[in-house]
Amino acid sequence: MAITYEAVKSLTADLYEWSLKRIPDDAKEALDRAAAAETNESARKVLSMMRRSADRAENTDRFVCSDSGVPVYFIKVGTQARFEGDVKRAISDGFAHLVETIQPPLLKHVTNPLTNERSYAGKDMPMVSWDMIDGADYIDITCAPKALGSGRWASLEIFSFPTLEEIEAYILDVIVKTAAQQCPPVTIGVGIGGTFDYCTKIAKLATLRPLGTPSSEPVLAAMEERLLKAVNKLGFGPMGTGGDTTALAIHIEYASGHGFTPVAVCFNCWINRRTRARLYNDGRIERIGGPWRRII
Amino acid sequence: MATHHLTLPVDVEAIRALRLGDLVTVDGEIVATGGLPTHKRIIEAMEGKRELPFPLEGAGFFHLPSYSRDTDQGFEIVYINPTTSTRFNPLMPKIIRHYGLRIVCGKGGLDAECARAMQEVGCVYLSILGGGATLHTDAIKEVTGVGWSDLVTHYRLVKMRVEDLGPLTVGIDAHGNNGYDQLESRARERLPALMEELRVARERAAAGGGSDPAA
Repeated sequence: MAITYEAVKSLTADLYEWSLKRIPDDAKEALDRAAAAETNESARKVLSMMRRSADRAENTDRFVCSDSGVPVYFIKVGTQARFEGDVKRAISDGFAHLVETIQPPLLKHVTNPLTNERSYAGKDMPMVSWDMIDGADYIDITCAPKALGSGRWASLEIFSFPTLEEIEAYILDVIVKTAAQQCPPVTIGVGIGGTFDYCTKIAKLATLRPLGTPSSEPVLAAMEERLLKAVNKLGFGPMGTGGDTTALAIHIEYASGHGFTPVAVCFNCWINRRTRARLYNDGRIERIGGPWRRII
Repeated sequence: MATHHLTLPVDVEAIRALRLGDLVTVDGEIVATGGLPTHKRIIEAMEGKRELPFPLEGAGFFHLPSYSRDTDQGFEIVYINPTTSTRFNPLMPKIIRHYGLRIVCGKGGLDAECARAMQEVGCVYLSILGGGATLHTDAIKEVTGVGWSDLVTHYRLVKMRVEDLGPLTVGIDAHGNNGYDQLESRARERLPALMEELRVARERAAAGGGSDPAA
């Protein structure tokens, strides 16, 4: 038994489509909690429209947002996983197949940055980050398509031996500069430490945690709690037109590094596109973080 | 906060009656695009270098890219959803002034120079829900024109008739009030107090105190 080319092609395409048509259950619950607590009447109406939009997309098999983004995957390979066929190529083939078959069709969002021409394919697309899991007999795949709406506003600064106060001031500064733009209420991902490249990766991974799950590091769990309160007192609100609900969660990850400490801040918009599943050697698929519905 | 129902084309008095934060639903004909190249072509048309596919005078101009396709029954819009208006900040003041736009609609707002142009001509910015593709698409009743079909579909200039599009939020009114700038200024004013709250919470956490029981 092995993980096959066909299984990877099919699952990566499924995860993409599913992320476009159905927002995660934890995002729905977070929006409902926010609507119940929101004191601004206009903001409550915007939040309720978000829930209606998500429900209608799910019930009519359509996209929540027209910008389906570009394909981004995070894949962890179990050391006991076995493969049959070119499973790396299966991911790009899966996206190409999705482009041909998905209904409604996708817009051309894959952009050549040198010419600004847009199409369905391009260099380094899909973007896949790889990791390993000791002992596992499966691969763990997360799909998180990214579009300009929230992707445009990520930021990174490299500090030298910063205090927590300096880090928190920077995070708030990024949010104040961009909060109306990212389709709030957002999930804010923060990376602290590591190197330039590693810091941005853990910030992105932070946005993919189940919504509102605190960091296992007590210092960061406390930082997440106080920063979320502070962000929601800034007053930007849903879609940046005022209210108490600017962020649904702040998730912070850290990594050891040298004394130069990058701090990266990135965003997932309110529709929270992220889907995840495990594909086992025996062909079994385990959906993580929501009910599994096979689309194609 | 008042609620309004506007039928396009709309006169300037109805636009000047709108205030920041009001909710608006829209009926009638809107013009929509999501493309920077499209905005550049509109500027070229203003300069006499190109023809517009249809007039834009007094239009409701929506940053609302669409998936359109040619069918036996004519052009079909499969879905629409807003894009980020601030991308077009450098081009919008000219377009707003030249065509006397009555409404610009999108997400994320526009800058101070756009707000000045809007005040001059009597135009508002309406915020439309990002991630509302099904709701917005279901408000389309008829596609009345598709221009510049040589562009990728979301860049085309599309004219359509909508019913009950919204509610949309007045983000910039026609009196020079830019809600986006106001919210950012207010957030900056709040920052010192919030940094102080964070300092207190940090010290409590460092002392092992956990959550603020009063929060």
